[in-house]
Amino acid sequence: MLILQILLNAIVLGSLYACIAVGFSLVWGVLNVINMMHGSFIVLGSYLAWGAYKALGIAPWTSLLIAAPVFFCIGYGIQRGVLNRVIAAPVLVTLTLTFGLDLILNNAMLVAFTADYRQLVLDPSLGSLSAGSLVVPIDRIVAMVFSLLLTLALFLVLRRSRIGRAIVAVRMDRDAARLMGVDVPSIYATAFGLGAAMAGCAGVLLAMIFPISPIASGSYLGKAFVVCVLGGLGSVPGAVVGGLFLAIVESFGSLVLGPENSVTLSFGLLIVFLIFRPQGLLGKRGFE
Amino acid sequence: MLGLSFRSHPHSARLLSMFACAVVSTLTVMTVQAQDVIRFGAPLPLTGPLAPEALKQQQGYNLWAEQVNKAGGIKVGDKKMKVEIVYADYQSNTPRAVQTAERLITQDKVNFLFSPFGSGAAKAASTVSEKYGVPTIASTASSAAVYDQGYKYLFGTFTPNDTLTTPLVKIVKQKAPEVKRVAILARNDLFPLAIAQEMDKAAKQNGFDVVFFEKYAINTMDHSSALSQIKAKSPQWIFVTGYINDLILIKKQMDDQKMQAPVVTMIAGPAYKEFVTATGKTSENISSAAWWHPAERYQGQDIFGSTENYTKLFRDKYKAEPDYAQASASVSGALFQMAIEKAGSLDRNKVRDELAKMNVQTFYGPVKFGPNGQINSLKPPVFQIQNGQPVVVYPAAIKQGEFRLGVK
Repeated sequence: MLILQILLNAIVLGSLYACIAVGFSLVWGVLNVINMMHGSFIVLGSYLAWGAYKALGIAPWTSLLIAAPVFFCIGYGIQRGVLNRVIAAPVLVTLTLTFGLDLILNNAMLVAFTADYRQLVLDPSLGSLSAGSLVVPIDRIVAMVFSLLLTLALFLVLRRSRIGRAIVAVRMDRDAARLMGVDVPSIYATAFGLGAAMAGCAGVLLAMIFPISPIASGSYLGKAFVVCVLGGLGSVPGAVVGGLFLAIVESFGSLVLGPENSVTLSFGLLIVFLIFRPQGLLGKRGFE
Repeated sequence: MLGLSFRSHPHSARLLSMFACAVVSTLTVMTVQAQDVIRFGAPLPLTGPLAPEALKQQQGYNLWAEQVNKAGGIKVGDKKMKVEIVYADYQSNTPRAVQTAERLITQDKVNFLFSPFGSGAAKAASTVSEKYGVPTIASTASSAAVYDQGYKYLFGTFTPNDTLTTPLVKIVKQKAPEVKRVAILARNDLFPLAIAQEMDKAAKQNGFDVVFFEKYAINTMDHSSALSQIKAKSPQWIFVTGYINDLILIKKQMDDQKMQAPVVTMIAGPAYKEFVTATGKTSENISSAAWWHPAERYQGQDIFGSTENYTKLFRDKYKAEPDYAQASASVSGALFQMAIEKAGSLDRNKVRDELAKMNVQTFYGPVKFGPNGQINSLKPPVFQIQNGQPVVVYPAAIKQGEFRLGVK
């Protein structure tokens, strides 16, 4: 029964990890930009959900409708106004630039919200579902379902829509896409906007689950990194598989080796994958 | 160019002498001022990961200094001297804390010293204050290892870690004899782990059965697996250590997994108001312990007078509730003040002797240092969240309510 409970915990946690990572993976895969602001976008999304619930009583799942366009615009603006200027430079330049922007954003959040931990407490609480001795908290199920729906939506956008095909085309061959008449700077901005929107939405959902503080952004970024490497860079299904894989390894690692080793285990796994399977579990298949 | 113009100018000599006079008189003013001020050195990790803790220390010292100066200063013999706290940042880097302490003594010429933050840095820096014979009060060092060096000039205001866990174990044993199975989950970090180990020891000595004792890593984002394992052992007492973010998350996940137990203890989150705000009703009946709590009611001979007055002054200045870290910093200043006034001089040896034989009541509790310099008079309070408020349940002399069982 304990094994089943831990498996159940891992599946729910894995979907949240996927949600954390998918936007990061998209930006890295398409733009070759390691967006160090990703963690802070997630935290900012959590503050949006927390503020909307506290001040206006808007439930987090409704806040998704606000977060998605708001964060898309923020991301689009940052890419168009700042990142596009250095996009052709080596990856280290964009990394440093997003790192610098993250310092500004994170410190601004520290000033605005302080480092105090806050928690979005739903009233009444959603409670938990139980079957026998198995228990799953409903807020995690809600977050999981919305995470998977958002990830599916992103997948469909990339696969079915014209703009999605343009993003994939740019990712595969930028010069050829430009020759075909694709407006590359605008596609970059759209992809970055989508990545930011996914981060913001992830933050909104995670606000129900994790304590909120600007300090948490580093942990989110770390998870996004590991999930991307495990699942395969730039792949939407890869983020889901990577997230689930990471959560299962961590949960059962905690059972077998003790909870103090689960973080070490996930980063150990990162190193093993970087050496032996750098393309991740699902390979570098892109968004086709 | 400047030298030439001086030489060629007929009034240059006079100008120069006027300038010299001005410099000398300024220096004299400065020395007079310096003589009227007692300087306390405070090496603190003002930047870096320990910065939030340093801020608390600073708030505590500043509040004390402000009160002293408002009252005209510290009475030294027949004159009153103002207080100045000289802060120096060691950037959360312990080896640098030692250098910083030395610099404060040798270059900034402080009269007395407060230790850097935490047991490790306080122990490291105590060597320097011993070398120069500077009385030093450590306001955040609880480990017995800090005080076992036979030093004469080091004093500390935190009792050893076991004074937090032993009373808890005794209360539970007395109030709930049916509670036998204890599960301990500890953050793998210096203080949280040390407290958990003390708990393990105290529980076993008192006949409890420790059915689970595991550590979790710093930066753990999810505790569901560890909590499922605890739940499977059906403990009656769940004892968790960590910092506030860990404990908020763990409590939330305990609710998610519908974990209930007669006793749930968490150290060191519930001492902070944010913990109760973030966990809401689910924090009811969670017990904890700390070296000091604003709910205590001590009448003191120190400048703050009483716990109530201290809490009020703190609230007025910072618009927040004080916790044990800030109170310990403030009381450290107040203890220096009492020792200096009793010694009637700034002589370091005399002040040291007054500290060593000190036996006073303060807003922080009774203060008396053991032969090793660590406080041995304090009974750290055990408290419990009842109706959303922390209520002291031990020691008997200041208790505000009875220990309750049942945490949902």
